[in-house]
Amino acid sequence: MELINLFIRSAFVDNMIFAFFFGMCSYLAVSKTVKTAVGLGAAVIFVLTITVPVNYLLENYVLKQGALSWLGEEYAEFDLSFLSFIMFIAVIASIVQLVEMIVEKYSPALYGALGIFLPLIAVNCAILGGALFMQEKQFPTVVHSITYGFGSGVGWFIAVVLIAAIREKIRYSHVPAPLRGVGMAFLLTGLMGLAFLGFMGFEI
Amino acid sequence: MSEVAKREPLFSKKNKKLITDPLNDTNPVTIQVLGICSALAVTVQMSNAIVMSISVMAVLILGNVIVSLLRNLIPGKIRIIVQLVIVAALVIIVDQVLKAYVYDVSKQLSVFVGLIITNCIIMGRLEAFALGNKPWASALDGLGNGIGYGVVLVIVAFFKELLGSGKLMGFDIIPESFYEFGYMNNGLMLLPPSSLVIVAIYIWIQKSRNPKLIEN
Amino acid sequence: MAINRESNGYTILFAVIMVTFVGGILAFLATALKPAQEANVRNEKMQNILQAIGIEELNDVSRKEAGAKFNDYVIERITLNFKGEVIKRTTNSDSIKDVKDAFNINLLKQYKTIASKKERDYPLFVCEANGEKFYVIPVLGKGLWAAVWGYIGLKSDGTTVNGAVFDHKSETPGLGAEISKPDFEKQFIGKSFEEDGSYAPIKVLKPGLEKDNHEVDGISGGTFTSVGVEEMLERTIEVYYDYFKNNK
Repeated sequence: MELINLFIRSAFVDNMIFAFFFGMCSYLAVSKTVKTAVGLGAAVIFVLTITVPVNYLLENYVLKQGALSWLGEEYAEFDLSFLSFIMFIAVIASIVQLVEMIVEKYSPALYGALGIFLPLIAVNCAILGGALFMQEKQFPTVVHSITYGFGSGVGWFIAVVLIAAIREKIRYSHVPAPLRGVGMAFLLTGLMGLAFLGFMGFEI
Repeated sequence: MSEVAKREPLFSKKNKKLITDPLNDTNPVTIQVLGICSALAVTVQMSNAIVMSISVMAVLILGNVIVSLLRNLIPGKIRIIVQLVIVAALVIIVDQVLKAYVYDVSKQLSVFVGLIITNCIIMGRLEAFALGNKPWASALDGLGNGIGYGVVLVIVAFFKELLGSGKLMGFDIIPESFYEFGYMNNGLMLLPPSSLVIVAIYIWIQKSRNPKLIEN
Repeated sequence: MAINRESNGYTILFAVIMVTFVGGILAFLATALKPAQEANVRNEKMQNILQAIGIEELNDVSRKEAGAKFNDYVIERITLNFKGEVIKRTTNSDSIKDVKDAFNINLLKQYKTIASKKERDYPLFVCEANGEKFYVIPVLGKGLWAAVWGYIGLKSDGTTVNGAVFDHKSETPGLGAEISKPDFEKQFIGKSFEEDGSYAPIKVLKPGLEKDNHEVDGISGGTFTSVGVEEMLERTIEVYYDYFKNNK
């Protein structure tokens, strides 16, 4: 039950795009057509579901104050949390690279679909944002962190696909010239964000 | 903006353009659409927006200079990771300094300081400019883009704070008598979506005044 | 160029040098700035405790002053267990270093790691100002987004509120975040945790309704945060109520 709530919260209430604007750069770049949006969205779900738990383990067994105590008593006092940014981004960059290589080798079809998006993801704020929020929320178990990563990914996916669909349609409307393209995308995201505010405090 | 150029007439015309272009024609936020994530989330108060802009500017200039100095040494294969490490290290320094000397602000910015790492402006400028240019030009490019980013941030924060809580920099601005006439602060302005709308309006105004930027 | 930038050997060498160099700088910086950072956190806690006492002269105490004034006002630091029994008692002449010292109890850490409220520690600060005795109790609970916490100052009877300070990690600005504004905090002054000789928690209700001695206005648009505040007060103060009752 707690996990379902966590999932719903991370996907809808704390939606990466509408509540925090994470991953806006790639979001605006790919939300021109639904097809590319689905591709990048799927890649984000995939990468978030892997990187958040990995970073969770890193945080809890290496970086946090006292996290090194499994090595022995004398390490209990070590506090490496100042290194967390650099470790998280390194983990993300290498996992993205790894995933790219594995997918390319074992599933060429999937690689064809996700391939070009994977390199983009290393610098997608949503991924690092996921890791940093995980750190701040201090989840009790690794299962929570997997749920959180997956939920946030799904939320990002929903947002990018919805906006892409609207942007496809809006090409046939008379948008004031200066607002065309990026301007309209901002406005739309703002309105969608307002709609998503309706989920606030939503729990099962 | 033009002030910077005037004060230092030694700058060549090309160098001046490095600073002035990002303010309008190639503004990183509104035209290149980079670095939105952190830009919009910290704009509820002017003071936060200013600290965030300064932090980004510092990281951007230093990152640009360092990458530019190392541009003939960095191995092509691990280029991206090297850039990420440099940026991440700079961001950690900023974060630690904020925590030690401006504690209140660091509390409010929380995770957003860390997100400077993935701020696309920084990676974008490192990759597109610093890797191929001399340190001095890279520093100016960093300064220009940093200011371009900061200007948008501060403008958004100005409207959000004024309309949302009737304050600027934490001081009450709207006189008490307005409230007595039934004026109300617009709580909606404090919520995330309103920043997007303000940026959209900003883009609208900017592009109407400068029609060559209009997309087809 | 003399060196081949694309060779594996060069790439690895570059990576090793860079990592060592960056790691060294960061480690040095983190160690150098740590005392200042820790002092900030400590002084802020002291500032909150002093402000919660609820006396005029301390309402605007700054974070810097708080560190210096703390021991003038807080004369005793007591750690209680769930039954309200004293497990550690230190005074202002002792330095703050024991892990069970009330000042060192990290409520957030306990809230996250100790599931049963019966096993957590309950810190209490005994303060003296202008010849009167006050108690300050730290409380912590859950808001809409993340943790909310506060410090409640009680009069010497141990049941009447004399001051309250609330803060939060990331509640919505303008809505839930209003709990840390004086408008909300001031309402608690004079309210009581006792009714006819037994425990009566303070309720945070919908704004605008008639309020009695155990009720305050919640935040409109910040319902979840208000509920969080009510829950943390009810859960925590009960422990101290037992302590005050047994020590009258």
